[in-house]
Amino acid sequence: MMRKQNFKQQVINLTPFMGLLLLFAVFMVLGTIKDINVAYGMKTIVNQSIVVAIIATGAVFIYTLGSFDISLGASAAVSALTGGMAYNATGNLFVAFLVCIGLAVMISLFNSILASVFNLPVFVTTIAMLSVLNALVLVLIRLNGTGDEIAVPSAAVKPLDTIGFKLVVLIVYWCLCAFVFCFTKIGRKQKLLGGNPICAKLTGISDKKMAIIAFAMAGIGVGLGAFVSIVYAPTLTRNTASSVGMDVIIAIVFGGMPVSGGARSKIQSAVIGAFSMTFLSQIMTILNLNSGIGQMVKAAIFLLVVFVATFNQRNKMLPR
Amino acid sequence: MKKVLALMLCFALTIGCLTGCGKAPAGEEAPAEGQNETTEEQEGAQAPENEDPGVELDMSKTVKIGVLVSDSTTAESLAFQSYYKDYIASNYNVELVYSDELTDAAGEKSAIDTFITNNCKAVISFSSFDRMAQLEQCAGAGIYYAVATGTLTDDEYAQVKDNEYYVGAIGPSLEIEFQTGYDMAKYYLDQGKTRFAIFGGAIPYYTEMHIYRAAGMLTAMVEAGGGDYQGASDKDAIIGKLFETASIETGSIGSVEILGYVGGYDMDDAWFAKCGQMAQTEGLEVILAVGNGSDFFGSSIAGTDVKIASVDAYATAYGEAMEGGMLDYLAGKFSASIGPIFIATYSATLGAPIRTEDGCALALSQGYWVATSAEQFNEFYAVDSSTEAPAYTKNMLDTLLGTDYATFEAFVSKYSFEEIQTMQ
Repeated sequence: MMRKQNFKQQVINLTPFMGLLLLFAVFMVLGTIKDINVAYGMKTIVNQSIVVAIIATGAVFIYTLGSFDISLGASAAVSALTGGMAYNATGNLFVAFLVCIGLAVMISLFNSILASVFNLPVFVTTIAMLSVLNALVLVLIRLNGTGDEIAVPSAAVKPLDTIGFKLVVLIVYWCLCAFVFCFTKIGRKQKLLGGNPICAKLTGISDKKMAIIAFAMAGIGVGLGAFVSIVYAPTLTRNTASSVGMDVIIAIVFGGMPVSGGARSKIQSAVIGAFSMTFLSQIMTILNLNSGIGQMVKAAIFLLVVFVATFNQRNKMLPR
Repeated sequence: MKKVLALMLCFALTIGCLTGCGKAPAGEEAPAEGQNETTEEQEGAQAPENEDPGVELDMSKTVKIGVLVSDSTTAESLAFQSYYKDYIASNYNVELVYSDELTDAAGEKSAIDTFITNNCKAVISFSSFDRMAQLEQCAGAGIYYAVATGTLTDDEYAQVKDNEYYVGAIGPSLEIEFQTGYDMAKYYLDQGKTRFAIFGGAIPYYTEMHIYRAAGMLTAMVEAGGGDYQGASDKDAIIGKLFETASIETGSIGSVEILGYVGGYDMDDAWFAKCGQMAQTEGLEVILAVGNGSDFFGSSIAGTDVKIASVDAYATAYGEAMEGGMLDYLAGKFSASIGPIFIATYSATLGAPIRTEDGCALALSQGYWVATSAEQFNEFYAVDSSTEAPAYTKNMLDTLLGTDYATFEAFVSKYSFEEIQTMQ
């Protein structure tokens, strides 16, 4: 009986990954039938997933605490625009990289510190921050004085605009996050804090300290995502990364992460979800489904995946 | 955790193998990541085979063409989409693959990646966040690229005119945009109107076409009013002033008055309140809009003598606005205006690109149809919205397939409603 339950639990745990494999298989089969350029398609999928995968990987730390940050996309936009301006001012891509990371971490920490000072739920401060950052995007573009965009010369970023570079960034950052999340006390404390904050506090875990660490990790991801965005498309506008915030939320949930955080949180959810979403989009394009129908199909599959992934979690929540 | 990690590693390796070892479809070299220059192999594989116009083209194979969509909700974009989906796609052996609504350069690049994946042989772009990057990406993959509406700047054209994968651009040039604004303002100035308000659309975002239209309006006012606009009294100076401020100052231009100005598309309560306030300014006679004016100001002027003039496209909503007195003047694109660029693109994919005498890409200008009454609007709209016999029918467009530049240019230059009716 116990063995059967374990097997069932393992199957459910693997559902998001099986979903990704299934989407991969469907993409390959349809691609072969429709004679698409599969090799280029794989590069396209990596390119289209990478920014969301990186940012979402960092965001897992925030979600594990049972919170969420709605301003991640806007933060990435501000970091990218500032990074672009830094490059234009110095001509040094490494400076741009540091500015992206530094600013993103600062914004993220500001969010968590603000929440600590005012003793507000973190997501409340991120809602306020979203408005501030969106306004800041417009200010930065206007300050730059070049009209409606901040453009880094494409020749400057071209050497880095490779699948190899982007995958290295993702893998290195993912390994760092996986290590902190799975093999250090920080990850365990965060899971406990997300699962049962009262119990966590009683055991001496500082929720503020954990929130700061979570946001700092997410900030690094946002900075990396912002830099990869510059590398991929060096013409930055007020809409840069505008969809990233929502895509990150969808990717994390799609990847099997419980919205309530806690012990069932998984660091791999972000990457699985980001790639699953892109495979799904590509499949819709192969089938030439128009945007409206495609969105509806995606929504239906999204609900199905979340339903299956959380099927075994109902009525088993720890008291909060 | 270990199992999941192992599975993910396997998956990553599979993807790595596929991205690294995949083979591009026959006749097309998959570009290296970041590649921007056309390789010799690509040139060999994709170079136009047919330089001789009039040669019969093989249209038996379905050609996939990607369409970059920048907007999927405005009257203009819906009219364009309808012409391609309802008429072109059903009359030519093509499969049009549409992008989602694009909002930035990254979206454009991503959509083109998807088109290349899906073996599209060309991309027609309605999106303009980074046109040079779009072309570079398409050329790198050995597929054709065309700008559907609008034109490149002179500098941009000089950079890309020799690129064999750049089909060209057909649309209102900035000169035509200027003239459109000028004609609109002059229409009312000639009627003796002197008290105006201007809706500046995307001027705060430095959108060139809106700045040029507004500059045309202001130039007409300077000529009629006898004064100057913020010290600028000629076309170039006024354009320069608008680029400097990204806004329009209210005040007098000689005997002409600008009583109000609203720019941007904030679309929040404060912005709509500002629009309403401007429309109800005492003594206001005309609202000149560089884009859609009736949607934002129509209800505020109901029951007054204030006139609204807009630039957009022929859509039902504008007909109703004209009938209801909420729109008085419309300079609108006709949906079939994107027919010739489709033909030029399709022709290129069939091996018969249409180039200038010097072998350069197309850079042709096409203007608007102007309606100043509901009757005139209805006459234009009936043709424009027809899926049986639109302004440019298949028979008309077929004459352009593989034709020479002179014929193509002559066809495109006759864009007024009357000229097109004569051609039919």
